[in-house]
Amino acid sequence: MTASSAAFAAGLTAFVLAGLVDLVAGARRDTARAVPYLIGSAGAACLAVAGAGAVAGHPARLPVAGWLGTGTAALAADRLSGLFLAISFGAASAVSLAFASWAARPGAVGRRGLGASYALTLGAVAVFLTAQDAFTLLLAWELLTIAFYLLAGFERGRPGRPGGALITLAFGKISGAALLLALLLLAVRSGSLDLASFARVPPGTARAAAQALLIAGFAVKVGLVPFQVWLPRGYAAAPGPARAIMGGVAVNVGFYGLWRALALLGPPPAWLTGTLLVLAGLTALLGIAHAAVQPRLQRVIAYSSVENSGLILAGYGVALVGAATHDDRLLAVGLLAGTLQIIAHAAAKSLLFTASAVITCGPAGGPRGTEDDNLDLLRGSARHRPWSGTGLAIGSLTLAGLPVTVGFVSEWFLLEALLQQFRVPELGYRLLLAIAGAAVALTAGFAGVTFVRLTGLVVLGPRPADSAGPPSGRGWDGGWLGRAGIVILSACCLATAALLPLLIRVLAAGLSPVVAASAVNGARQTPWVLGPVFSGFSVLSPSWLWIVMPLLALVVLAFTRLVAGPRMTQVRRVPAWRSATAGVEGADSYTATGFANPTRRVLAAVLHTRAEVRVLTPAGEHGEPAGAPGSAPAQTPVPGPRLGYSSDVIEIVEAYVYRPALRPVLALVRTAKRLQSGRLDAYLAYMLIALVALLALVTALA
Amino acid sequence: MSPWVLRGLRDGVVTTRWPARPDPYADSWRGPATILRPRPDDAAGLASLCPTGAIGVGSGQDLVLDQGRCVLCGRCVGRRPDVFGWSRGTASAALSRAGLVVPEAAQTEQNLVALRAALAARTSALRRSVHLRHVDAGSDGAEEQEIAALLNPVYDIHRLGIFLTASPRHADVLLVTGAGAHGMAEPLRRSYEGMPDPKIVIAVGTDAVSGGMLGGIPGHSDPEATRTRQQRAADDEAPDSAPDSPGLAAGSYATSGGVGAVVPVDVWVPGSPPPPFAILHALLLGLGRLPDPRESAGERR
Amino acid sequence: MTPAGGALATSVASLRDLVVQDIAAGRRFAGLMGTQLTDALVLSVHLAGRGGVATREVALPADVTSYPALTPALGAAFWYERELHDLFGIVPLGHPRLEPLILPRSGQHDPLPRPGRPAATPAAIWPDEHSVPRQVLGPGLFTIPHGPVRSGVMESIEYLVETPGEDIPHLNMRVFYKHRGIEKRFEQFAAGDGVLLAERTEGVASVAHALAYCHAVEQIAGVTAVPWRAALVRVLHAELERLAAHLDVAARLADAAGLAVATARFGVHKERVARLVSRMCGSRFGRGVVIPGGVSGMPLVSAGDFLTEIGRMERAVSADARVLMGTASFLDRLRGTGPLRAERAREHGALGPVGKASGFSDDARLARPYDAYPGLGLGDPHEHRAGDALARLRLRWDEVRQSFHLLRQAADELDDAPDSPLMVPCEVGSGRAAGWAEAPQGEVLYDVRTQDGHVVRCRPRSPSFHNLVLFHEVFAGDILTDFPFIEASFGLSVAGVAL
Repeated sequence: MTASSAAFAAGLTAFVLAGLVDLVAGARRDTARAVPYLIGSAGAACLAVAGAGAVAGHPARLPVAGWLGTGTAALAADRLSGLFLAISFGAASAVSLAFASWAARPGAVGRRGLGASYALTLGAVAVFLTAQDAFTLLLAWELLTIAFYLLAGFERGRPGRPGGALITLAFGKISGAALLLALLLLAVRSGSLDLASFARVPPGTARAAAQALLIAGFAVKVGLVPFQVWLPRGYAAAPGPARAIMGGVAVNVGFYGLWRALALLGPPPAWLTGTLLVLAGLTALLGIAHAAVQPRLQRVIAYSSVENSGLILAGYGVALVGAATHDDRLLAVGLLAGTLQIIAHAAAKSLLFTASAVITCGPAGGPRGTEDDNLDLLRGSARHRPWSGTGLAIGSLTLAGLPVTVGFVSEWFLLEALLQQFRVPELGYRLLLAIAGAAVALTAGFAGVTFVRLTGLVVLGPRPADSAGPPSGRGWDGGWLGRAGIVILSACCLATAALLPLLIRVLAAGLSPVVAASAVNGARQTPWVLGPVFSGFSVLSPSWLWIVMPLLALVVLAFTRLVAGPRMTQVRRVPAWRSATAGVEGADSYTATGFANPTRRVLAAVLHTRAEVRVLTPAGEHGEPAGAPGSAPAQTPVPGPRLGYSSDVIEIVEAYVYRPALRPVLALVRTAKRLQSGRLDAYLAYMLIALVALLALVTALA
Repeated sequence: MSPWVLRGLRDGVVTTRWPARPDPYADSWRGPATILRPRPDDAAGLASLCPTGAIGVGSGQDLVLDQGRCVLCGRCVGRRPDVFGWSRGTASAALSRAGLVVPEAAQTEQNLVALRAALAARTSALRRSVHLRHVDAGSDGAEEQEIAALLNPVYDIHRLGIFLTASPRHADVLLVTGAGAHGMAEPLRRSYEGMPDPKIVIAVGTDAVSGGMLGGIPGHSDPEATRTRQQRAADDEAPDSAPDSPGLAAGSYATSGGVGAVVPVDVWVPGSPPPPFAILHALLLGLGRLPDPRESAGERR
Repeated sequence: MTPAGGALATSVASLRDLVVQDIAAGRRFAGLMGTQLTDALVLSVHLAGRGGVATREVALPADVTSYPALTPALGAAFWYERELHDLFGIVPLGHPRLEPLILPRSGQHDPLPRPGRPAATPAAIWPDEHSVPRQVLGPGLFTIPHGPVRSGVMESIEYLVETPGEDIPHLNMRVFYKHRGIEKRFEQFAAGDGVLLAERTEGVASVAHALAYCHAVEQIAGVTAVPWRAALVRVLHAELERLAAHLDVAARLADAAGLAVATARFGVHKERVARLVSRMCGSRFGRGVVIPGGVSGMPLVSAGDFLTEIGRMERAVSADARVLMGTASFLDRLRGTGPLRAERAREHGALGPVGKASGFSDDARLARPYDAYPGLGLGDPHEHRAGDALARLRLRWDEVRQSFHLLRQAADELDDAPDSPLMVPCEVGSGRAAGWAEAPQGEVLYDVRTQDGHVVRCRPRSPSFHNLVLFHEVFAGDILTDFPFIEASFGLSVAGVAL
């Protein structure tokens, strides 16, 4: 057994152990609750190492079924699996640290099961990423669906949770069904359950249908339009850092599935590629439109997952076009952009969910139930939490695609990849790439707006004067373990950009099952300077940026110090100029809702914004008019007709696709309910009828 | 091409060269009333001519006229052209409240020199980047029009390196108009305190100087009551406490009788309202940038 | 002029019914004021009609501290009753929003004491700055305070923009900051000197205020008409004032749209008007010209010079106005911005350009002509109905044309008129009268009561006060960046609101 295999085995064992510890030890003692996550963190680290090993050319292999004596099924990590193992479990390891710290807060978790669900999720991810046959793959997928359901439904008692869990389960089942059908189609045609054998399936309707089903199945997991509706609700329903496990770690299995499908089956038919490109652009735009205006922090982050799926799949779409036109370099630039975006997203999303889990905790890490993630209430709440606040800011900057973060580089690569459309000979592809490119560019702009809102209001914003938060001092900031997790993830967001030339080589190796490493390595034009695979198109050096930007800042600082002398540090601190007003009743500066309102108006076509002002019935709440003479006996308190304002956005896919479609289904269900009489003889009769019908059918077909 | 490009070239240069060159409009301006004959026979009876109580009799039985109270109604000039006349030109601003009284008391000359030196020391760093903040403390709206006129191409204060700014945080000069409405006392104070040092306060208009028509009860100025106000203003580093300085007029239930009661004023500009040239003169006087040293001393009569 | 006859009603309810009948019969609600007599507080409702202003009154006995509010039946009285409450401490029962308006008193004193309350006006009243509560509730809603110290050279007022960001579902105002106690101050002047204060009540409408005040005083003195030449001089100054105000509005609108050249051009035009006025009388605001009984003197500019200057100005202004009204980017900002519905304008009796642009026109120069206006051709009133900021600007250009026309006519007439005295003796005794004049912003109305030649009560009602309340209603569908356009298009002066 190689070292990689050993690390792989150790990781899986750790997850089993973590699950058992949680089920046995339960949630009674605070410190004990942290143990499963610590074990899980170690296991994830092992898996990340195993993945790295696999990328480096030391494949890991566990003949699981051989040990059980039931067949040939095995778990094995080639370079592609290794790449995704490294990405996912690198993030998982850091998130688990914060998870441990979060779970150990007094009264944080009321009952057992969360740790086990967490371990199940990680285990399912690991198995899926290394499955070698259709059966194992499906098994892992279904396990993941169940794990997601358990995570989302863990806090059943809180509002929105049961619904979130149910929709997660429903869409998990849909994706499972799609995968099942696709794999069956392929297995029947190839005559084997072995994934590698699927490559031999002859082109034709069956193969195309299987590809479409595979892409649909994986698209559900990553939240591509029109399957994105479960994702924000499901993610938001999960407790604390479990969202990071779902949204930052487990989501990568969807991307892995797509990457693997391309490696095994090659480019799908043109119509599928086209649809995917358009849907990717649409997903990005819709995702960011909602992220920009959502009133709740977790929803914002979750919708940004939808947006990122769109971005990543846009890169994937470019790769598909490259594969279809046999342009290896286009394939490489698309995959490279997509994979970089996956890395940026995995790091930043894990970081955002982790940091937000810490920030929304009550003061001094109070028990659960105090979490309220309404952005209007969260203004300035990261001020007393420097670690998680900085984490939230770095994660935001990464997803907003600002320089020195890896998000900047990945978004640059993505746009550059989409700009290569002029190299494609077919007009149809060129148009589709242009559409996707426009949508992605627009998305990049609104991503800025979205994350300025998070950073500007939650991290940098002043605490509202009448807030109930901690008056001074610090709120709970994650404990040292949580801080460690946040620091690691932040470092990933930043350092990967600096070390990008190195990373390109790793990615070239990792993507080699899909595209030749030499093509990917074309992105490294000189050791320091990167370009989109095609040489001479454009260049970027994130490493130099890392050196130059801090230097520039230092130069400016030094110059200021030189000119201003000691006065530079003499600062007069005064409240902001408010046009000399004595102050107003209620909030007097931009709220998160207010900041998002222009976007809500601009994107009204996408969001179907509805705003209304209505007259509230006088409730006599603000008593007698101010300044009235107290001695007037006939004083009548006449409360003015206060107005109420509300504005709402609509998830158009849900409102116009699912709800109308769901109505007849529900009607059918209601009708079918009548069959449920509760009488045993009636049920026996149903069974008899069904049996007779089946026999008749079989006889007729024979 | 936008038609506005041509419209903009239409009248050539309309901008005045003042103060570098004399401007006929500025020089022929009819300023506040002044005294032509200090010792008429019926000096005591002349006080009642003025509806704002600007005319009085000084220590030496001389007539005194407080231009800081003059609303330019012309009652005195109309009735007794032998005693009263109009001052000419727009150099009507003074560096002290007492400096607005004609004829000028001898000892205030000394003060003026000291004042000018102190002000120059404060404002020397501003040079040609001066930012103004205006606060309306209960004006009738006319002073705002005249201050806004400074921005039009005829006066174009930008040519002198003077700019309006939205926030007192960036302002060096506070232009205060109005009679000092009580409602504006706090906002005015906030604005003043919001400014960084060094700062200059200019009271623009007779209303801001003394309350004007909203000042004290006509003909019934109460020097005792106003002395304390003056003292209070003096505490805020305005070295202006000449013993015979005219008291700030008492206000009404809604006004303070001038803005000096709220913020320490450095330059006083009478006028109802003062024309843009007079405001500009006051600005340059406060900044020590008047080319003619005689004018910068505030000597004009 | 028709005397302001105080038709006395028996109760507030009957007063309300009478007023509602009058309005149904075509009169316009022009104001509501209180006057404290020795034994009663008199509420007077002014009703403007063709030919004059009628007054209906009710006397509230000394012990009455409240009365049934008129506002529910008479929406236009909304601010007037709040002002009554602020100044006299009397409570209109059933008023929909009795918040402080022009004076939030922190103490017990009423500035204008009514019978049965402490007699003397307190030495100082310090307003409570926090007085106006929030009106709109909703998730994420916040208030942007615009003022009292605003960017730009603006008068002090605080607009409380209650917004969820971008939209303006409601606008609240704190107008009391520069309350100056003008009404009370009038009581310290002889009738002849009161005009000086009237001129300084609202600077941008100095002449109109002086005219309205003098019309009232002249009526008390029994002066039926001022000499023809004086009447012409009055018209000259009134129309020049209108020119300056309308050019100022155009400059402000251009400034809001960022049209630098247009802003500069209209600034220069306005400066030329101011200089012409100052050459005529020594004051850039036409102050000191209008006195009870006539005018203080002839313009110091010859008719020829005046006509040349006016002609030059008219050509330049109309050329610039033409270009402005052809600048698409500018018109786009105004079209549909700050709309006031025609029925609201009529219901409220909106004054001046604000009302006229919404199809409601009650120009005092036409309906209740004074001074030289009956003898001059005003031309037909212009029809505008759109009610948005663009309609208000279009109407102002019509008025500018009309003013130039009037100025030429008046100057010609003045040149031809035979030499004669410029004023008639105006011996003011005791009495009470209403006077009016059409300011650039709309009708100014003065209700003056004198005793032995002294003013004992004077209530100026500026068009700004009457129109500003409409600000609450014109932001429907507009966003924050429309604010400066709407404000400029109203063209009001805060000085006239918080007297």
